[in-house]
Formats: sequence, C-alpha cells, structure tokens
Amino acid sequence: MKEDALWYEAAYVVGVTNALNVVADGLPADVLPPVSEAAAHAETRAVIDAIRTFYGEVPAPFLTIAHDPRYLGDLWAAIRHAFDDGRLTRRLKEALAFAVSLTTRSSFGTRLHAAQLRRLGVGEGGVMEVVGVAQMFSSYTKIADTLQLTSDMGDIAPADPAPAPGGRVARPSTVRLRRERR
Amino acid sequence: MPTVRIRTASEYPDAAQKLFEMSKAWFAYEFPEPPAMSRVMAWDPEFGGPHGRAMKRAMGPGEFTRAEKEMIAAVVSGANACRY
Repeated sequence: MKEDALWYEAAYVVGVTNALNVVADGLPADVLPPVSEAAAHAETRAVIDAIRTFYGEVPAPFLTIAHDPRYLGDLWAAIRHAFDDGRLTRRLKEALAFAVSLTTRSSFGTRLHAAQLRRLGVGEGGVMEVVGVAQMFSSYTKIADTLQLTSDMGDIAPADPAPAPGGRVARPSTVRLRRERR
Repeated sequence: MPTVRIRTASEYPDAAQKLFEMSKAWFAYEFPEPPAMSRVMAWDPEFGGPHGRAMKRAMGPGEFTRAEKEMIAAVVSGANACRY
C-alpha cells in the first residue's frame, strides 16, 4: 500500500460512504420523502436502474436525493467511480465502507456494505475480520487520544514521488518537504 | 503534548523488552525508540498482552490480507479523527 494512488481511492470511498450515510441516518423521511420510482422522469429512472444493477437494490438515500435528478446523476457517477474496481478492488472498497459505517455508527451503511461484502463472496469470517480491525483500532485511537499521543509512525512508509495522474514528476526537494510536514 | 510522560524503552523492565522486539518485528521497521503506543501498552502487561494478541489476531491474514487490513485500520482511525 505504498502508492498514494491507493490512498486517494480509499479516501474517495470513505467520503462518499459518509455522504450517503448522513442522508440515510440523519435525514428524517418526513423532511424529504423519497421520490416514487414510478413517478420519476425517465432520466432519473435510468440512473435508479443503474444503481439497482450495481447494488442489487436501491439504497434509500438515492431515492431521497432523486428530487434533484441532475444532482443524483452526478453524485451517482462519483459514487460508482469511487466504488468500481480500480487500483483497489471493489471488495476492499466495500470493506472500507463497512468499517467506516460501523465506526461512525451508521446502521444504514453498516447493513448496506455488509450485504455488499456478502454479495461479493466475503463470508462471515471475513466480515468478522473487518469488525475486529474496526474494533481494535477504535480502541487504539481512543487510548492515543486520551493520552494525547503524537504520531511517531509517519516515517515507516516513504513518501510516494509519483506525480498526480497526467502530471509531471516533482523536484526531489518538493517531495522531501511534503514528507517533513507529516 | 501527551497527558503522561512516555517513558523510554530503557525505563521498562526486561519483560517489556520482549514486547518491544515483537513490536519491531510486527512493523518491520527499525525505530530509534519503540512507538509510543507500544510503550503505552507495555505499561500494564496484563492489559497490553491480551489487547496486543487480539490486535494480532484481528490483523492477521484471513479473507483479507494484512495490507488490506492496515488500510481498513487507517480509515477507522480517520473516522475516529485520530491523528496518531
């Protein structure tokens, strides 16, 4: 996991997972009721069909945000890209989303991503592995925060000198500077 | 600034030195001093020992690799807003 590209993918997954969870767990249905698929525009229905194909179901927040079809379309495109197989597999991305949902107490996200893990062939043992990691690092992080420990692990992995996609390689002094800021 | 003074490895008893060696092997990295968290966990071996074993069991390869689990651990730490 040395390359930054992997961590960008993970960060995007965490971000959009939290975005869906916020609406699913935090927005009462009477504030913004879900859009009826039958009554939706054809363009919206096409997006919803794509969502159903991807997940095997239509997670509730997508029907909530379908009140704005263009917003739904763009957010879905971002989510789909974030979760598709890339440098990280979709399987690992679902594990990341499950762990983050569990850690942030999102019952919606925890159920959705556990179901996705199982669809992708992960067994009970694998789900338990993710639960174990989430639980252990929820323990370590709170011990560290209670004692206000400062990180001393940053040098374990060297900085990745690769440029942004399509960009130019940075001068070595720039790469060093970034590492010093960690 | 830590709430407590994090002791250097030399201030720990011999039994803890073994834990520090295990920590070095776990991270496969030559630390000038064991990581602060390792030294915190070595403070009370009756807590740090079983907690560490549970961590190793959770992080060991299974359906997910150790590397995959390290990434899961990193996002959990981020979700907990922990900078350590």
